[in-house]
Amino acid sequence: MRRLALACVLGVAACGGSLFRLTADDNDRGQLASALADRKLPEQRAPINAARVPRVFVALGGPRKQIVEYDLAAGKLVWRQPADIDSRIAVGGSFVVALEGKQLVARDQATGAASWRVDVPGTFVGVAADRERAYLAWSDGGNGAIAAYDGASGSRLWHATADGALGAPAAQGGVVYVPYLSQWLSIIDGASGHQLARIRGVDEQISMLRTTSTDAYFGSKQGVFHLDARAAAGTRKDGTYAKVTVPPQLEHTQYGADAYDAVQSGYSAADRARVLWSGLLGDAGYAVAYFRFVFGFDRSGALVWAYSHPRTELVASDDTGAALVAISQTGDVVALDPKTGAVLLDRPIGTSEPVLGATFDADGWRPPSEGAPVQTTITGPASLATIEALVGIARDHDERFDRVKELAVQALAKLPGGEVTSQLLDVLADPRASDKLKGDVVDLLIARKDPSSLGVLAAQLATHDDYIAKTSPTALGPIAKAIAGLGGAKLDPAAVATALAALRGHLDAPTTQVPDLVPVIAAMAAIGGGAERAALSSHLLLYHADPEIGGDPAWGQAIVGALETHGGPAERELLAAVAADPRTQPSLVAILREALAAD
Amino acid sequence: MVAAAPKPSLAEIVTTLNGVDEDAAARSAAALGDRPETAAHEALLDALAWGAAPAVTVAEIVAVARHPAPPDVAALRRVAGHHDPNVRGPALEALAMYPDPAARAAIAEGLRDPNASVRASAARAAVKGHVRAAIDPLLALLGLGEESAARALAAMADPELVRRIGDQLGKVPDPTLALCLGLVLQRADFGPDSERVDIVHALGKIKDPAADGALADYVRTAPKNPPRASVVEAQKMIEARGAGGGS
Repeated sequence: MRRLALACVLGVAACGGSLFRLTADDNDRGQLASALADRKLPEQRAPINAARVPRVFVALGGPRKQIVEYDLAAGKLVWRQPADIDSRIAVGGSFVVALEGKQLVARDQATGAASWRVDVPGTFVGVAADRERAYLAWSDGGNGAIAAYDGASGSRLWHATADGALGAPAAQGGVVYVPYLSQWLSIIDGASGHQLARIRGVDEQISMLRTTSTDAYFGSKQGVFHLDARAAAGTRKDGTYAKVTVPPQLEHTQYGADAYDAVQSGYSAADRARVLWSGLLGDAGYAVAYFRFVFGFDRSGALVWAYSHPRTELVASDDTGAALVAISQTGDVVALDPKTGAVLLDRPIGTSEPVLGATFDADGWRPPSEGAPVQTTITGPASLATIEALVGIARDHDERFDRVKELAVQALAKLPGGEVTSQLLDVLADPRASDKLKGDVVDLLIARKDPSSLGVLAAQLATHDDYIAKTSPTALGPIAKAIAGLGGAKLDPAAVATALAALRGHLDAPTTQVPDLVPVIAAMAAIGGGAERAALSSHLLLYHADPEIGGDPAWGQAIVGALETHGGPAERELLAAVAADPRTQPSLVAILREALAAD
Repeated sequence: MVAAAPKPSLAEIVTTLNGVDEDAAARSAAALGDRPETAAHEALLDALAWGAAPAVTVAEIVAVARHPAPPDVAALRRVAGHHDPNVRGPALEALAMYPDPAARAAIAEGLRDPNASVRASAARAAVKGHVRAAIDPLLALLGLGEESAARALAAMADPELVRRIGDQLGKVPDPTLALCLGLVLQRADFGPDSERVDIVHALGKIKDPAADGALADYVRTAPKNPPRASVVEAQKMIEARGAGGGS
């Protein structure tokens, strides 16, 4: 009794007092610097576990849920145990801890056997661990509480309550970070439960925490503060604050789990859309893991590489500082080079049950390279792997990722060369691609103005309507528009001749409809350099008295515009003669007269 | 007694041809086609080159082909690509009058046209012009059950081609194959009779009732003299099939 009284004198936490209040000392730079300095952090990034072995702890589904430890360095499954995992797995020095059913259960990292378990006193909010201790946050009637447990024995070391909601905690080097009422981040001594410092967010709420072995971050969906002494300011301006550009196509991507979202206290779909970074956010580029895909960006936000995981989604991912690591629904561990996206590792962990989620404890780890490093940049020559990944994404048949496909084709379109053009055209030819995506590809083909693509574009025109072969031209109009976009560029004369012949084939084809004839005419005029005039003149004459084509104003504008703009005296004489022919369709006459009057 | 109207001059006909009255223009095209002089033919080629409404263009095509000349081929090929199938068909049939390889290629190409009436025109043109290059596409169309192809192949077939057609059993709709082989049997110029016997046997392998009809038609219409083994064979085949057999 005397000892308990002494503990109460030393600090409220030990006897369960209210540690989290609306009024307290906030944003004290000295306190914060001292608290951060007291952390026991490694010199270099390293796994938390006492053996310093890179591991991943995996929650498996199936008829009976399980937890698995996989040794990333050795490439072997260390153990598996039945476990009704209902939260994220927190990793300590010699134990892991997670909510199993209604209890917090710690397991020995060597064997997976349960070493202790305690009941959760209220509604589970979150769990964290450092090498020595586990920290459990819960809520009771809307007010939060937190307790610390010895990692080895499970004995409760202290607990504290809050006047309001606590978020899921994070722990690092002997301190525990606890979000409070979305405005504060309390930094608590893990051993004693004393509050060491408290940060009040001035500009934005505090709802996200992320720790590595050496760094800590907090923030929200909007951006991220690096937890350093400057964070005491509580403002973006005076803190070490950053946010990165995430393409709008990668919607719902977050910097980390929402500490106040009960769903995200466990593994959830939100884990499949994450910004991955190390050091200061964005300083050396960053990546976004997005369901089946991972995209690498440079510090300016430009996409520099892409990775597409075959078939299954990546349910968990992390940046170890030396590699990006992820695990798929089917248990494939993947490691990518953060700079290039080169695949460093792709290995199954050897389970048949679906992976529900995972926690990596692999800070600083990078698998030995299995091949020569591949340089990949979008702004320079792109690697074949990146092109293949982007093409794979663009042509993916999963309708859920239509917006990601837009991102892929936009990235592809920035790459020069006929091969990329060919791939974009394949998207157009894909009957399962959405109209929106095809529209984007058309716009990009037109905009990219890549002279080296002319041959590929012309080759794509080889297909005609053929009743026997059951073929039809694919994307004739868009291809013609893309060719027209090359007008004025320095083009290979042989490629021009080939393209003109191919375009003429469609100009003269009986089945080419006016909506396609218009861009075909424009393309011939744009690149023909005069060689197209005879064909276009013949075309005008053939249909000038035809009510269907000759009477179509769009066709009239196209053919008259082409001959008037790109023609010589002979073509202008022809236009005048057609205008004077009483059989010429009236709408065409009007167009001709307007063009000739302006001449 | 009413004096005959004076024959219109070439210039007058050409003026009407180039006028806005399409019926009159079409009549003028026909009139030019009736005239043997080179100037009339050249006027038609000029008119085709300048372009006209589809109905007038068709009349010009027909008229040009009445006096075929090598320069016509380019003009006819151009209108064979007209968007209006009512123009393309006559153009292809007109091209049958020209031994020019370009004309034959256009006819063979016309067999791939999406429009069935145009394909039928091309098939007729292939027969009329004996276009060997059309045989493969015609066989392909036969496989698609195209009646015009069956008729064309039947008209063009020699014994070797008949064997190729017979080999299509299972690849071609049975009624189409039966129609084709039956039409070959009907040809007076096809023989010798041993080849007809082979056709009868080929028809016997076709399960479809159309084969029965083809055999019956042959038995009914074949000359009685001199007697043909193929007719006897066909009769046996009919009787066997009627008894629920078939070979």
